[in-house]
Amino acid sequence: MKDWFADISAQFKLNFIDGNRWQWLVEGFRTTLIIAFFATILGILIGVLIATIRSTYDKTGESLKKRGGIGVKIFGIADRICKLYLTVIRGTPMVVQLLIMYFIIFKSSTRGTLVAIISFGINSGAYVAEIFRGGIMSVDNGQFEAGRSLGFNYIQTMIYIVIPQMFKIVLPTLCNEFIVLLKETSVAGYVGIRDLTKAGDLIRGRTFSAFMPLIAVALIYLVVVIILTKLVGILERRLRRSDH
Amino acid sequence: MTTEKKALIKVDGLYKYFGSNRVLKGISTEIDAGEVVVVIGPSGSGKSTFLRCLNLLEEPTYGEVWLENKLVTPVDPYLHPDVIELSKTYQSLFASEKAKSNGRTDEEIKAGLIAKIKAEDLLNEKHEGRAYKSLMKKIYSENYINVNLARQKIGMVFQQFNLFANLSIIDNITLAPMKLLKLRRSEAEQRAKTLLERIGLADKAQAYPSQLSGGQKQRIAIVRALAMNPDVMLFDEPTSALDPEMVGEVLEVMKELAKEGMTMVVVTHEMGFAREVGTRVVFIDEGVIQEENTPVEFFSNPESPRLRDFLSKVL
Repeated sequence: MKDWFADISAQFKLNFIDGNRWQWLVEGFRTTLIIAFFATILGILIGVLIATIRSTYDKTGESLKKRGGIGVKIFGIADRICKLYLTVIRGTPMVVQLLIMYFIIFKSSTRGTLVAIISFGINSGAYVAEIFRGGIMSVDNGQFEAGRSLGFNYIQTMIYIVIPQMFKIVLPTLCNEFIVLLKETSVAGYVGIRDLTKAGDLIRGRTFSAFMPLIAVALIYLVVVIILTKLVGILERRLRRSDH
Repeated sequence: MTTEKKALIKVDGLYKYFGSNRVLKGISTEIDAGEVVVVIGPSGSGKSTFLRCLNLLEEPTYGEVWLENKLVTPVDPYLHPDVIELSKTYQSLFASEKAKSNGRTDEEIKAGLIAKIKAEDLLNEKHEGRAYKSLMKKIYSENYINVNLARQKIGMVFQQFNLFANLSIIDNITLAPMKLLKLRRSEAEQRAKTLLERIGLADKAQAYPSQLSGGQKQRIAIVRALAMNPDVMLFDEPTSALDPEMVGEVLEVMKELAKEGMTMVVVTHEMGFAREVGTRVVFIDEGVIQEENTPVEFFSNPESPRLRDFLSKVL
């Protein structure tokens, strides 16, 4: 027992204390949070844009087509581009997208974190768009009609009535999407970005002991995810309460 | 393109197809200010669709809806006869037709050509100089009304109430007057409170729709539409989703409205209401108006066998 304890503490010292290796984890964790946070914001922006185009086209495309004109054509093209984007992003692995971004599209860039933010944001945007679109579609059409019947135009009806209700519906799903995103950023190491996972792996490579650093990394992810899940749970309960 | 008689709403040859399903097959009628028109008919007869076409919640396949002598249904102003006449396409066609006129008058050629251009969409050159555009603008502003503007003047009450679930009662009522009529919050709230007091629900101002009973929701929905000071109110089966004991309170509000002279178009199954409050009853079946008359005549002397059959089932 005593030997086991001594072994553990020696391992701990080797992996985290010596050469201030714990700082690598802190640095990596910071990078992971930065990527996840800004990718989230980018994802929301892209998601809102795409969901707006897609659901507007779904809702009004038919009657617009009848009227004709250049606007409908542009709208139709935009809708098709959105669909293509969704298909490609959701149909290819995140790692492959990241590699393409890093080694082909932003070949000359040295700012790995930024490239990661962009590619994770673009990836997340596709999923967020579908979440938003589902949310908009699940708001009772009567709400939309009531808004229109009072004289609000399409955009006003969306802003004042549909989108506030949509947010309430999608908020829990949206938060879960961000938890998934946080974990997904662990593949950033593929392109040499020192995120949390990469930091753990670097320690492993330096100390030749895998157990401590990798378990530490896993624990950090786990704790963050548990905290976020708790918060989502609280949020969900709050939202349900206001439904009466 | 102006109508001579001043009807509040004029419906001309309204058709509505949902794919191959022909719901409305040519409805024409006029609704004057102060009228309470009650529309009845079997389910699936097209009466709700007819009502929803009046404020373009359903866009008619063919036909026109006029509100206060302005056209509500979307029509390409480029297809106005005066505008067509200015186009080069028309002028060249006219010249060639006139050359082989065979004794037809200019007027006849013109009418034929305009019908042809409208039907075959021959007018592909749409921008032909300033005179053309300014005439189009003038015709548009004189003859058409923007659908959102029209809807501000046409209040609507739905079967499922459709109160905004995310807003409190007072916000439900004040939202449209504040955003569309640009009332100040204090003014809008004053208006809302007066209306709420009239229906005896002033104490519910801060409540949310989900806390109210069906009857209360529907009365609020009526008030929400009234807050826009509409010229006409449409009711789409306002009591059909209510528990029986709540039907009375909603009908009471509607009766009062009618007494005050509000123009109303009511789709309903409440024959008592039709008899008591209506000034005209319209029977729609299979997408056309089968019969319309004053309530007394309508119920005591139904002419068409179809109406007689329907009345024998519901009365």
